[in-house]
Amino acid sequence: MVDKSTKAARGTVLCDNANMNLLKANDFVAESIRRKMAEMGILLLNITSSAGSGKTTLLQETGKRLKEEFKIKILVGDLETERDAERLREAGVEALQIVTGGICHLEGQMILQAMDAMDLDGVDILIIENVGNLVCPASFDLGEDYRVTLLASTEGDDKPKKYPRMFFTSDLVLISKSDLLPHLPFSVEAAMQDVRDVNPAIEVFPVSSLTGEGIDKWCNWLREKAIAKKKSTTANV
Amino acid sequence: MHEVSLVRSILSTLEEQFSPEELQQLKQIDLQIGVFANVEPLLMQNAFEAVKKADGRYEHVVLHIETLPIKIHCEDCGVSSLVENYVFVCSRCKKPSNQLIQGTELLIKRVHFED
Repeated sequence: MVDKSTKAARGTVLCDNANMNLLKANDFVAESIRRKMAEMGILLLNITSSAGSGKTTLLQETGKRLKEEFKIKILVGDLETERDAERLREAGVEALQIVTGGICHLEGQMILQAMDAMDLDGVDILIIENVGNLVCPASFDLGEDYRVTLLASTEGDDKPKKYPRMFFTSDLVLISKSDLLPHLPFSVEAAMQDVRDVNPAIEVFPVSSLTGEGIDKWCNWLREKAIAKKKSTTANV
Repeated sequence: MHEVSLVRSILSTLEEQFSPEELQQLKQIDLQIGVFANVEPLLMQNAFEAVKKADGRYEHVVLHIETLPIKIHCEDCGVSSLVENYVFVCSRCKKPSNQLIQGTELLIKRVHFED
């Protein structure tokens, strides 16, 4: 990049990729969140899905099962209302609502600001419940350790190929509302094949917050990651 | 998705890098947008026109968008290949790979000023 103090730019200027990335501000903030979480040994998850696929219900169940074992806090993003945070509080989990006011995704800056308003001392797991949308949240790194995407049985098994970036950037896919699978033309195998075309190494399994199917497996996954995060931090001190 | 905020980000990035005098001479911005960036070039152009109108300073500036396909690198055979239909496998050995080397770009590649 031409240094503006020494020389006026003329003609064509070839830009330096690192400086001219349009998401660089977000990526910069995401990195500082990642550093902060590493120092504090907090596992940070970014939960994404379409609207209405059962993120909040799954997190209510998760809170109920793990709240004695871990200190969990949740940041929940929605365009409007406090409803999700209220539902999570009813389940006994401390939750802070981020109202985006029409913005279709959460950005690093919103997370950083919300973290400032939160007491993070002693927290083991911080979960971000993103805005229900499989498109935009895919492009915004929030400094998370893992991205978990829910694909509800009611959405149809063809979604991974329609929203490939989200499934490419996810670490775990949960097929939610699995209790409805017997009533729907949803093929778990077809969905898994589609997910793996996009992301070969990814783990996929069904869960139902209603019947409890897969919830132990999900909680074990979470427990394992939280313990590993804590260990990596104490090992560094 | 959020094209208007991306267009604002283009202008604020340029304002950080160049002086107001230099930006008065700005003719064209060349963007590179990867297919995997979830950004629609046509909507980006529309957003650019809208922001230009609202801002007033960049009336004569043209936005040129180059779309980049998704490319992966295969560790096994060292080949780089294009991803078709979002199937992330090496075109030569058919082994899966998620080593993205191109496709998520949202970059200002070049800017053109009056000579």
